Parts: sequence; C-alpha cells; structure tokens
Amino acid sequence: MDAPVVELDRIASDIWTAMLGLTLEPYHDAPVFPPDQRVATGIVQITGDFEGAVTVQLAETKAREVAAIMFAMGPDEIGEEEVSDAVGELANMTGGNVKSTLCGVCQLSLPSVTSGRDYHVSVPGTAVRDRIGMTCGGELVVITMLLRQDA
Amino acid sequence: MRAIVVDDSRATRAILVRILAELGFECHQAAHGREALDLLAAQGVVELALVDWNMPVMDGLAFVRQVRADGALDGMKLVMVTTEGDTAHLVRALEAGADEYAMKPFTAAVIREKLQLLDLAQ
Repeated sequence: MDAPVVELDRIASDIWTAMLGLTLEPYHDAPVFPPDQRVATGIVQITGDFEGAVTVQLAETKAREVAAIMFAMGPDEIGEEEVSDAVGELANMTGGNVKSTLCGVCQLSLPSVTSGRDYHVSVPGTAVRDRIGMTCGGELVVITMLLRQDA
Repeated sequence: MRAIVVDDSRATRAILVRILAELGFECHQAAHGREALDLLAAQGVVELALVDWNMPVMDGLAFVRQVRADGALDGMKLVMVTTEGDTAHLVRALEAGADEYAMKPFTAAVIREKLQLLDLAQ
C-alpha cells in the first residue's frame, strides 16, 4: 500500500495555532539545527498497515516557551518535566494527525522525548519520507515522517 | 458542576482544566483510566469526563466501557478528546458509550460546542 501525501506543514500549523496560539512560518533553508544548540525531540511510532515514526524537534528554549504556554506558567517556573511533557504531547498530536491521513489500520505509540546537542534520531528499518522546517518567532521547528522502506 | 480530565499529558490536562474552569466546572485530573476510576470511587460521580484515548495502564476506550458498565456512574457525560481521528475509532468510542468526540488539536470553542451539545455549557 502506497502512503498518501501527508501535509506535515498544515498539520503542524493547525496544532501550533489551536493549542499554543503561535504561528509557524515556512522555512526555506535546510532544516538543520546548529551543532551547539540544545534540541528537544518528541517521537511517536506508528505500527500496523504503515510502520514508521513522526518526530517533532525544536530548540530547548522554544520548547520551554511552548511548555510555559501549555501550563500557563512563567518560563522560569518550567522544569524539565514540563518541557518533556509538552514536547511529547506535540509529537503525539502531530503523529496522531499523520496517522489519521494514512489509509489502513494503524496504532500510535505513547510519545518519547529526548534532548541534547548534535545528535541524530533513527528508527531502524525506516527512512525519512518527508521532513519540513518551519519557524516560530525566528526559531526552527522540524517535523519528520519516517516510514518503513517498503511502504 | 464537576468534571474529570483524563489524559496522560499534564500539559493537555492543564489546558483542558483551564477551559473547563472558564465554563464553571470544578475539575479533577487523572493520568489514565484506572486512576480516574479510583478517583471517581473516592470522590463520587461527576457530571463530565474528558477522556484521552492513548494512555498507559488503562486507555480511554477501556475507561468508557468501565464507566458504562458501572450503574453508580450513570448520567456521567463522556467526551473523548484524542488524536485518534479516523472513523473507525469514532465508531468504537460511540459504541462503547462515549457521548461526544473531539479531535486534538482542539480549541476552547470546540470544547464549548461539544459541551453545548450535551447541555453542559451555554
């Protein structure tokens, strides 16, 4: 079964607007973070008729801002737990909406979150199907869809 | 009126609790269905539950089925609030006893509309 076209930019924009009141703008350069920047990654895996994963990546400073909006707290009050929860939920919503556009029967995993500098996320057996960069307040947000290579 | 928000994401619970508080609800929170059932057993029935689907320990569908099987929780309105947006999930939720279904991402207006359909908001 061929995977249909998934509009990652539309899905991400809808989520950021509805849940955060933030606007995502198109980013026309290569969606790559500087190696010295701390980046948070939320990931959910998709299993079933389509197998793969969806990741949401953003600078930790932006992740803290996002968490502050979701928790209605000041950025200084936000800890790692809140940042992880917020990034995980962004990945969950993004992955869920991607899954909904795929045909067939699929399941979504619970989200996982990691952060650090200059690292690479891979899901064995999958390849990048689509990756987009967008900006929010000038900071890069990267959404990646990985699918099993025979999908 | 009292409500319970059942979602494993604290961030989403925080957003939903703020929306419900603006609509006049007093809110409890639980991170999964089992915790919600325990809380309801301790605190008594509430008028409304907003329930995520994918949660650890006990997912939202199992929670809805348990609530509908428990006569002591009769009358509680159940709204699924989830990323599971395909028709098959919607049908399963409604067949299990959910009263309404809202997709993530949601807005305060969408939640209010769902509650208006259930006569729980003006």
